[in-house]
Amino acid sequence: MSSFVETELNNLSKADINREYIIKGVESEDVELKNFLFTLGCYPGENVTVISDFKHNFVISVKDARYSIDLDLAKAIKL
Amino acid sequence: MKIALTGNPNSGKTTLFNSITGKIEHVGNWAGVTVAKKEAKIKKTLNRSGQDIIAVDLPGAYSMSPFTSEESITRDFVELENPDVIVNIVDATNLNRSLFFTSQLLELDIPVVIALNKSDLLKKKRTDIDIKMLEDVLGCPIVETVSTKSGRNGLSNLINKVIEVSGSKQEPPFIPVDVDLSNINSVEKSDIKRFDFIKDLVERAENRSYKSSLHNYQDGIDKVVANRWLGIPIFALIMWGVFSISQTHLGPFIADFLVGGIDSFYTFVGSILGSDVSPVLEAILLDGIIGGVGAVVGFLPLIMVLFFLLALLEDCGYMARVAVVMDRFFKRVGLSGKSIIPMVIGTGCAIPGIMATRTIKNQRQRRTTAMLTPFMPCGAKLPVIALFAGVFFDDAAWVGTSMYFLAIGIIILGALIIVRITGEKNARSFFIMELPEYRLPSFKRASISTLSRAKSFIIKAGTIILLCNATIQIMQTFNWQLQVVAEGAENTSILASIASPFAFILIPLGFGVWQLAAAAITGFIAKENVVGTLAVVYSISNFIDTDELVLISGSQDVASIMGLSSIAALSYLIFNLFTPPCFAAIGAMNSEMENSKWLWAGIGFQFGMGYAVSFLTYQVGTLILTGSFGSGFIYGLIVVLAMVSAVIYLINKGDKVSLNKNVKVA
Repeated sequence: MSSFVETELNNLSKADINREYIIKGVESEDVELKNFLFTLGCYPGENVTVISDFKHNFVISVKDARYSIDLDLAKAIKL
Repeated sequence: MKIALTGNPNSGKTTLFNSITGKIEHVGNWAGVTVAKKEAKIKKTLNRSGQDIIAVDLPGAYSMSPFTSEESITRDFVELENPDVIVNIVDATNLNRSLFFTSQLLELDIPVVIALNKSDLLKKKRTDIDIKMLEDVLGCPIVETVSTKSGRNGLSNLINKVIEVSGSKQEPPFIPVDVDLSNINSVEKSDIKRFDFIKDLVERAENRSYKSSLHNYQDGIDKVVANRWLGIPIFALIMWGVFSISQTHLGPFIADFLVGGIDSFYTFVGSILGSDVSPVLEAILLDGIIGGVGAVVGFLPLIMVLFFLLALLEDCGYMARVAVVMDRFFKRVGLSGKSIIPMVIGTGCAIPGIMATRTIKNQRQRRTTAMLTPFMPCGAKLPVIALFAGVFFDDAAWVGTSMYFLAIGIIILGALIIVRITGEKNARSFFIMELPEYRLPSFKRASISTLSRAKSFIIKAGTIILLCNATIQIMQTFNWQLQVVAEGAENTSILASIASPFAFILIPLGFGVWQLAAAAITGFIAKENVVGTLAVVYSISNFIDTDELVLISGSQDVASIMGLSSIAALSYLIFNLFTPPCFAAIGAMNSEMENSKWLWAGIGFQFGMGYAVSFLTYQVGTLILTGSFGSGFIYGLIVVLAMVSAVIYLINKGDKVSLNKNVKVA
């Protein structure tokens, strides 16, 4: 398992705005949440772009749709 | 024949369902408006087969593996109830995500027709789709539809195709190989292959002239309305605008015409009855039925204008942004922004609002939201707000707006207390919400939704409220010996003797008279009854136009007839809005919470909250205005302190639970 020490840019909350990244993994113990994110197209190998950063909340673009996700979820999506 | 409408959330299933069946189910521009399945027959004009076709509208789902309970309704229906044809509604602007679910549906051995919906948006987005090629690869017919349009929307084509494919066999385009369904990793691997297959297919079929991940003007709007600092003030301003138009300007203007009509009807019936009819019958008919129901119906225009404006807001896509703005605050109290959706729906009626809590995954959050949603002022509470704003506060728009924000405040406080009591203050939850594209709201859709709500309001006024008002009038006219109570001896009536003990409890809140207690009690049957009962017990049939009352009752106006100070009136308004909802909504709470302990705790909590907030409003307000506390202060203080200490005791107990949980985790 990877360590929980956050280095520069290892998750979505640190990402630059309007730059396309490739998802490396989704780290969550919640299997159903992982599955749900999967069905939206949020899984390793897929592209993701952060559109807006509201500090507590991020707007991301995945597979031609916009989602608002909170900080915790943004931290769970590894880049 | 039975057809199932399936597809991703917010792909337009319910709009399409309404178009093909002529029904008026609630629609909104965000994910998760539909939480239960709805069935109806397809219109004869669209159906040329001669046999009945039943369309079943299902909640949206992203895949066959459900995440929330309403998604499992969809899976269970298509897997267990064997529809003859599946109509898969696909958002034409997001094939990449939508076709994942499509490919799963195509494996079920039920013929599928794809409705490529929102196809009008393709031109706007300069995107071409090779439909012929998609049809060939997927092995099922595709019909372009625009379910929001009334003509040339592709729907009759769609139904023809449905009839055509019924009973036929289709080959699934993607067949998973070597999958061990009991192994998560194996399933995921296969699903990644599925997504790859879709991605490859869409890449070939779709020609986009610009990338969707680029920042566009819609994201610019989001930057303002979902902004950390501007989000809440903008929401407040919008709500104030809604109330100002519906309550201060347009609403009363229309209401004046209606009230004039009711008044003439009252006089007309009075003149027909003449002087020969018994005074009791006259009282029941004129003051009880026409007066009471008329007083409620008089508020219909205000409510319709309000509903119309709220429907426009729902239609344009703004509400999903409100959820984003609220998430920050709700998260601190153990809820998530998703809880705002039931509350927004609850502004129409608490029952569908409570049902909408199904989209919330976490059980405690779901139950807490079901408990707190009824605090939101629903359509039936609006006449009460409008009455008090009109009579005591000169139709000010701030009354309604502040009641909304007071509701939000109470909800946040309530959530904070509940999360502490349940001992889950350290529980974490994730928030994810699809942001639908903004669109110009449709006046037609908003009008249809307003008319359907007005219709149910009138039906309610003509049944439950009419019956209640007649009963109240009878109970007020007679005493227990069934004699007509004499003038000046109103305190001896059946109604007065039943309501008086309750009135006693209400003294510390500033309105300890039996008339007001009776109105609060009938409010539990339906909140519109508060206005109806007040009209009956005070014999006032016209609340809207207070100027007219001067003519009717001499120099007296409604405020002085009711004998309330503005502070006591505000306290009474708050008591009616923030105590438990009507019985029907309590029933909905019961079915969504699925736990009687939660239900009773919820009802007790709602009572306590309403009582405490009105107590504080009345006593503190009176202290500020007159320099001394109002009547019954000590007595009320003891009650409120007892409730507060009970809550503190439960919170301490809950904190210990959460401490234990932490130890276990560590």
